[in-house]
Amino acid sequence: MSPRLLALWLKEVIALSRDRHGLMALFIMPTIFILVMTMALRDAFTPGTTIDAPYVVVDLDHSTHSQSLIRRLEKTASFQRVAADDDAEGARQGIATGRQALALVLPKGFGERLLTPSGADGQPTEPLQLMVDPTLNPALQLAFRNQVMATLGALRADELTQRAGKLFGLPTIPGAQAEKEWPDEIISVAVRNDSNVRPPSSVQQNVPAWLIFAMFFVVIPVSSIFITERQQGTLQRLRSMGVPFRLILAGKLLPFFVVNQLQALLMVTVGMFVVPLFGSEALEMPGTLTQLGNWLAVSTAVSLAAVAWALLIASIARTSEQATVVGGVGNILMGAIGGIMVPKFVMPAGMQTLAGFSPMSWALDGFHMVMLRHGSFADLLPSLAKLLAFAILALTAAIWLNQRAVATRS
Amino acid sequence: MLSVDSLSYRYESAAAPALDNVSLNIPAGGIYGLLGPNGAGKTTLISLIAGLLNLSTGRITLGGEPLATARAAQPRAIALVPQDYAFYPMLTTRENLRFFGGTLGLAGNELATQVEHVIAFARLEQVVGKRAEQLSGGLRRRLNLAIGLLGKPQLLLLDEPTVGVDPQSRHFLLESIAALPAAGTTVVYTSHYMEEVEAICQRIAIIDQGHLLAEGTLENILHSPQPLLEIHLDRSLPVELAERYGAQAIASSKYRLELPAAAELPRLLDELAGHGCLVRDLSFGQHNLEQVFMRLTNRSLRD
Repeated sequence: MSPRLLALWLKEVIALSRDRHGLMALFIMPTIFILVMTMALRDAFTPGTTIDAPYVVVDLDHSTHSQSLIRRLEKTASFQRVAADDDAEGARQGIATGRQALALVLPKGFGERLLTPSGADGQPTEPLQLMVDPTLNPALQLAFRNQVMATLGALRADELTQRAGKLFGLPTIPGAQAEKEWPDEIISVAVRNDSNVRPPSSVQQNVPAWLIFAMFFVVIPVSSIFITERQQGTLQRLRSMGVPFRLILAGKLLPFFVVNQLQALLMVTVGMFVVPLFGSEALEMPGTLTQLGNWLAVSTAVSLAAVAWALLIASIARTSEQATVVGGVGNILMGAIGGIMVPKFVMPAGMQTLAGFSPMSWALDGFHMVMLRHGSFADLLPSLAKLLAFAILALTAAIWLNQRAVATRS
Repeated sequence: MLSVDSLSYRYESAAAPALDNVSLNIPAGGIYGLLGPNGAGKTTLISLIAGLLNLSTGRITLGGEPLATARAAQPRAIALVPQDYAFYPMLTTRENLRFFGGTLGLAGNELATQVEHVIAFARLEQVVGKRAEQLSGGLRRRLNLAIGLLGKPQLLLLDEPTVGVDPQSRHFLLESIAALPAAGTTVVYTSHYMEEVEAICQRIAIIDQGHLLAEGTLENILHSPQPLLEIHLDRSLPVELAERYGAQAIASSKYRLELPAAAELPRLLDELAGHGCLVRDLSFGQHNLEQVFMRLTNRSLRD
């Protein structure tokens, strides 16, 4: 091993270990992001889960039919029922104070007039009343209303068959409360884009996403050291000592590559062992060695792209403040359009096309190809090729900028 | 030892050349002073010698060999100590020295020995464990110099090595630098401080706007071809005398006169006495470096 390269690596390691802000940006920030975002988006990606909007039913009828309706509503379990007194005014207050978002009032005589159309016998039928919190998403208001309608329909159908059964002598189970399961249950199946795989779960989206984001944040420590070297004349001194620029670059690539792999290890550990402690599902890593190798290939390509990008920013920026702003904002933009902050599959088509321009999106595609679709190495090639091309371009631009700076310096 | 022959250099997109046909000869075993106002071309010359810039016109040879060949054969032969504190503020003194030693290709015992040697030379023993960013200006200059000596260079290029240091540190630095030729290191020294150059350099070159204005031993440069007299009187110089000797007022009651010959001096003093002028201070013949420098660079003040 060349002592020059060793000295360069050691210097980078010592410098980074003393850069508290850099370490925070690299290790602490993404860990917090993973935990917070996994919790916040826990239910957002899975269809058919409960909706966090509580409701009460005010039963002024107290009939078997009203009880049956309440049971049926509860069974669908999409919304959460909270217990309440049978008091319409109390339910209204409950909505006003935010205790519940919806209140269904079953009027007196509800059961008796279940099969009697309004005005059929010269008497008005009192309508069911639905009180809603106006801030509740209108789609949810409508969904609840539809659920009540459907339940009512089922209830009427039960009542009809029971009465018709008696009329036509159909067999009935004596004494049984006829609450049939009508075969009208609908099961949601998620169909996304061209593939039949499940969309990523919250942890599957957030761990690789924030890992990629964190890897690209090597821009902060890389540029802070590089700009110090340039401003203090250390780069010049190294050049005068005959250290070629490519060796200086190599001296930076490896330590930050190792840093990136440590980040990956930490983030995966957090996903597998810490996230479950907070009640979310654990991250599952690919099981076979081949797939782990593929995972490593993606994380290597992401790391090369991230460090090359960092060196490019460090070469463009004049001061480390500039590098922090340009690098930081650049990363946030790449993350925002690249499906890091908002998953790509919830974006409209136009935005998904735009996302295709972000290196972070290529990286995320690569990780998802391994983790969700268990793709082969060949499946990864498009992502890997784009990331490597980006790394080579950024590195070439960085070298060109540095050579130009040397030539025009006066 | 180092010979510079018809050297010219122009930066990309610069209107005028930074160096124009400069030739110098730096003999081994001495301290060579390089003087010039800001923007004169000193740093360009040093950068060319240090290999930071590529030679386009002219020739530089080290020990008779072209610079590139000599550097390839002995990469540590020439060391540059830049004007900036060119080391890592977040690393300690020793870590910096070990790092730069490592980039020179030193390892193991050789590295350890050289690091200890330069620590002792620059008297950095008290601050080896201190981060460079916590060092005072004087200590930083000493560390900067120590790094330059790690490779035991034959030629050491010092660019303004005493800027921003207190008098004690300056004295120590000058003494240390003056001792280098005896240890086998030839020094090229650039500075704005004329008294420093006068104190430690045996040969000097004065350059301005890319041109070499004077080169030679300090004695030869200071020797004036035309006797100049600087005189400080208790009153104004009589008009008649001022006209005859082409007097220039350089301060209140202080004049610079051109005498045709040294023999004119007694007569001038007699005439002054005749006008009732009292001479407070007088210097004749040997100039100091600052006077030569100001005369050669036309006294124009540049930033």
